[in-house]
Amino acid sequence: MADSYSEGRTGDGEYQEQFLNDKTLRRLGAAVAGLFTLAVGGFIAAIIFTQVDFELFVEIIHPQFVNAFLRVLGIVLLGSLLSVTAGIFVGLGRVSNTRFTNTVATAYVEFFRGTPLLFQLLVIFVGIPAFWPPGQFPISNWQYPTAIIGLTLNHAAYVGEAVRGGIDAVPEGQMEAARSLGMSYVQGMREVVLPQAWRNALAAIGNDQVILVKDTSLLTVIAIPELISAFRNVNSTTFDPWTPIILVAIAYLMITIPLGKIVNHLEARADWGGDRR
Amino acid sequence: MSLLEFDEVDKYFGETHVLKDVDLNVEEGEVCVIIGPSGSGKSTLLRCANRLEEIQGGEIRLEGQSISAADADINRLRQRIGMVFQSFNLFPHKTARENVTLAPTKVKGLKEGDAERRADELLDRVGLGAQSNSYPNQLSGGQQQRVAIARALAMDPHVMLFDEVTSALDPELVGEVLDVMHDLAEEGMTMLVVTHEMGFAREVGDRIVLMADGKVVEDSPPEVFFENPKTDRGKQFLSKLL
Repeated sequence: MADSYSEGRTGDGEYQEQFLNDKTLRRLGAAVAGLFTLAVGGFIAAIIFTQVDFELFVEIIHPQFVNAFLRVLGIVLLGSLLSVTAGIFVGLGRVSNTRFTNTVATAYVEFFRGTPLLFQLLVIFVGIPAFWPPGQFPISNWQYPTAIIGLTLNHAAYVGEAVRGGIDAVPEGQMEAARSLGMSYVQGMREVVLPQAWRNALAAIGNDQVILVKDTSLLTVIAIPELISAFRNVNSTTFDPWTPIILVAIAYLMITIPLGKIVNHLEARADWGGDRR
Repeated sequence: MSLLEFDEVDKYFGETHVLKDVDLNVEEGEVCVIIGPSGSGKSTLLRCANRLEEIQGGEIRLEGQSISAADADINRLRQRIGMVFQSFNLFPHKTARENVTLAPTKVKGLKEGDAERRADELLDRVGLGAQSNSYPNQLSGGQQQRVAIARALAMDPHVMLFDEVTSALDPELVGEVLDVMHDLAEEGMTMLVVTHEMGFAREVGDRIVLMADGKVVEDSPPEVFFENPKTDRGKQFLSKLL
């Protein structure tokens, strides 16, 4: 739509006389994008040809980086599943007409969104075992449950806000129509409002889940051998920064880019009647 | 006993008194058309009839059962009251057929196959047999409103409420919706219709109820109301239409 509209105007003599008309703007944009590509491409090429040690590269991929990658992937999958599930309930609490439920959900969001994830991880990691006498804490490898609990609690707050926004964006007439047909509030929510709220919230939820992936880098602080730890290991023994940096970048992008594709796919699937694609 | 009874109904929005002591009885098989200037309380009255709005005084009864009582089983009562909205309110994530089958399957526990057969019958009846697999955004406004009528009919209501159902439509699409309503009236459906379509009111209505400032100011048969209204408010309203 927007394209054909602007093209229709470029043939117009009046517009072409101005310096910044549609055609020059388009060329300017392409020129800036070209320069940017050249600069970044050149920088990456310079790193690869002058900085990366390919022998070391091959040596550290397996098992160190592969293991770190699989560990992060596992934590992301579990954390995503749990945080989105919990977030839907947080969102429902946020739109509840029951004052108590609403207040609790709001307080939850304020706390977990208002304090840093790193702080929350430390509270769980060192705070919870302190309830037991020293050395008596029954769970070994407590850092892994800490990671899952921390990521879930923190991101459920963000997903909850996305879900609340999604529900608020569904016109009131939808619930009214459902109720006028004899459906209960719960039926109206489940059958009519939530499927639409889900679509409205998808982009924001996907955005949050990408942040969750990157938040796993904080887990280096609670001694989980994830990607940043792997980088620090290699760097501290070889003094080579760029070789492990490239691997870290590749590993994160191998999760975040497919995640974005999944969100796009879900959005396209929730495009009832196809006005978007 | 009338089918639908409004008994001294009072309704406030905050401080504003929007329905003042409204009495109105709708008989079985009757088409009762409510007209009046905007802000007169017509739509509010209709929305109170299936408790989308709470009333603060009086009582509303359907077939003798109170709709407005605190302990009324409203989900059950609403099954007998069909409602069609100005803004259609079709479910955008469901096809025309799914819009019609949703409530019968979820609320009445009808089997999927039976509900679908019934839905196709109803969609045929409103002239949309060929569009049953279309999503609302693939339909015109007039088609969407006809699906909405079929959706309400699927619950086998005893009375249908129409809330300015043609006001959001392009002029050339109004006729197809009014035709469906016309047929429905001829089949004997009890209807309470809020509308600005005076031609429809005159032709299809059994009664014209004029509301102004939250009150019923005239209640006459259409030939009386449009030829020789009984009240000054009625005359005044008619004079502004021309």
